[in-house]
Amino acid sequence: MARFLAMGGYAVFVWPAYAVFILVLAADVIATVLRRRRVLRELRSRIARQGRRRGSVSP
Amino acid sequence: MAAAFRAMLQRDLLLAWRRRGDALLPVLYAVMVATLFPFALGPEHTLLARISGGVVLVTVLLSMLLSLDAVFRGDLEDGALEYLVLAPQPLALLVAARMLAYWLVTALPLIAVAPLLAYMLGLEGPAQPVLLLALLLATPLLALIGSVLTALTVGTRRSGMLLALMLLPLAVPIVIFAAGAVGAAQQGLPWVAPVAWLAAALALAVVLAPLACATALRIALDS
Amino acid sequence: MNAIKLWYHKLGSPPYFYVFAGYIQPWLWTIAAVLAVAGLYGGLVLAPADYQQGDAFRIIFVHVPAAWMSLFIYGVMAVSAFIAVIWRPKMAEVLAMESAPIGAAFTLIALVTGSLWGRPTWGTYWTWDARLTSELVLLFIYLGVIGLYHAFEDPRQGARAASFLAMVGAVNLPIVHYSVVWWNTLHQGTTVRYFGPSSIAPSMLWPLLAMTIAAKFYYGASLMQRSRVSLLSLERGKDWVADIVRGEPTHG
Repeated sequence: MARFLAMGGYAVFVWPAYAVFILVLAADVIATVLRRRRVLRELRSRIARQGRRRGSVSP
Repeated sequence: MAAAFRAMLQRDLLLAWRRRGDALLPVLYAVMVATLFPFALGPEHTLLARISGGVVLVTVLLSMLLSLDAVFRGDLEDGALEYLVLAPQPLALLVAARMLAYWLVTALPLIAVAPLLAYMLGLEGPAQPVLLLALLLATPLLALIGSVLTALTVGTRRSGMLLALMLLPLAVPIVIFAAGAVGAAQQGLPWVAPVAWLAAALALAVVLAPLACATALRIALDS
Repeated sequence: MNAIKLWYHKLGSPPYFYVFAGYIQPWLWTIAAVLAVAGLYGGLVLAPADYQQGDAFRIIFVHVPAAWMSLFIYGVMAVSAFIAVIWRPKMAEVLAMESAPIGAAFTLIALVTGSLWGRPTWGTYWTWDARLTSELVLLFIYLGVIGLYHAFEDPRQGARAASFLAMVGAVNLPIVHYSVVWWNTLHQGTTVRYFGPSSIAPSMLWPLLAMTIAAKFYYGASLMQRSRVSLLSLERGKDWVADIVRGEPTHG
């Protein structure tokens, strides 16, 4: 295991490269998930507003 | 159609002449940037001479970028741009007149001052006319391409930094060929090939850029 | 033929695309994850160390797929941008604009892993090598497209303007590459020999292919995920969006 982690002395180059690969792609996915939440929150409050407006007009 | 082109050009040049102080601004900026290089790098003649062509080209590019934002700005603010788009004459033709005016007003003074700056940095001999030739081909190319990008950003609020970001990838080949020609001439190598590439690119851009610019304006104004 | 045409037109309609993307998305994620795990295991554990570069060559399994994806995604983006500018369907605009950040991410990965690979092989993190320089310019093009898209208040107008810029960039990209190659031969002093494995061993090839295909599926999955969010935001006034929002659990 230690030999695997040492990467023949190139650990300082190999592991950061893989870390960057995974972290950047993870950031891409997480940013989209967060954006989805934000958009849904906005839409929900928008629908609630419209519902209230409709409610105040009809009676 | 030729009359519309001429009228547009005359109007733009007249407007520029009324505010002729503005045309000096890019020149002043270029002089400032070029003077700062020796202070930053030291007065060693061989080093300055080697980088002189590149420094002058980049300086001219940056100075043009400085005023690029204004190509359609005035027309957008006073609403004249909408009239241009709706005019019966083809928009590409009117835009071409605007590009020519922009090149005459901004780039010509820069080209006039460039040999002086290059000489002060130590560019001498046969490389000087090559620099002039490279500038005569590269500046209209930059003006044409830059106008297309400016047209795209016309509908946005902030565009200065964005314009620089958009122009950089397109300016890379121009800078490479123009500076490459000057560098080759300095070393006594054949410099015709890069100049010919610039000329070919310019010929293409003269035809395509006004059309692209007209399309970009229509997109940016959403009409 | 007609069925394909019908399906294509259906996909162009946002509500249908939203449902379709939601349906295929888990499959794309699963395939990408399985292939990536296999590729990483094959590349990091099974493949033997390179006789010239030692274990440093293992960066190839992330660098090369990322570099390929940076160009592949630009191609997809340019085609959808072309369609968006000419025929103006909303879906093409969405796909082009949501491809751009993923492409930029892969370009960034290719640049960083490339320089991490360059240090042990070339002895420097950065060299003005033709490939690295072109990749850097590609990143600037991506950033320009993303920046222009977000500079407009109306996202559809921004999408059309940025699509146009993406088309200009597609023409510019090969020009940049060849001019940079020419520039590099002109300045012989700065070129560095690039010694990769000339004939690639099968034990190295299959993990590389697995990672490449995994990256493609990742792109598909991320694009579906992004497009769904973008559609919800763009079609906010429509009834189908309201139906979806009511149906979603509130923690969302």
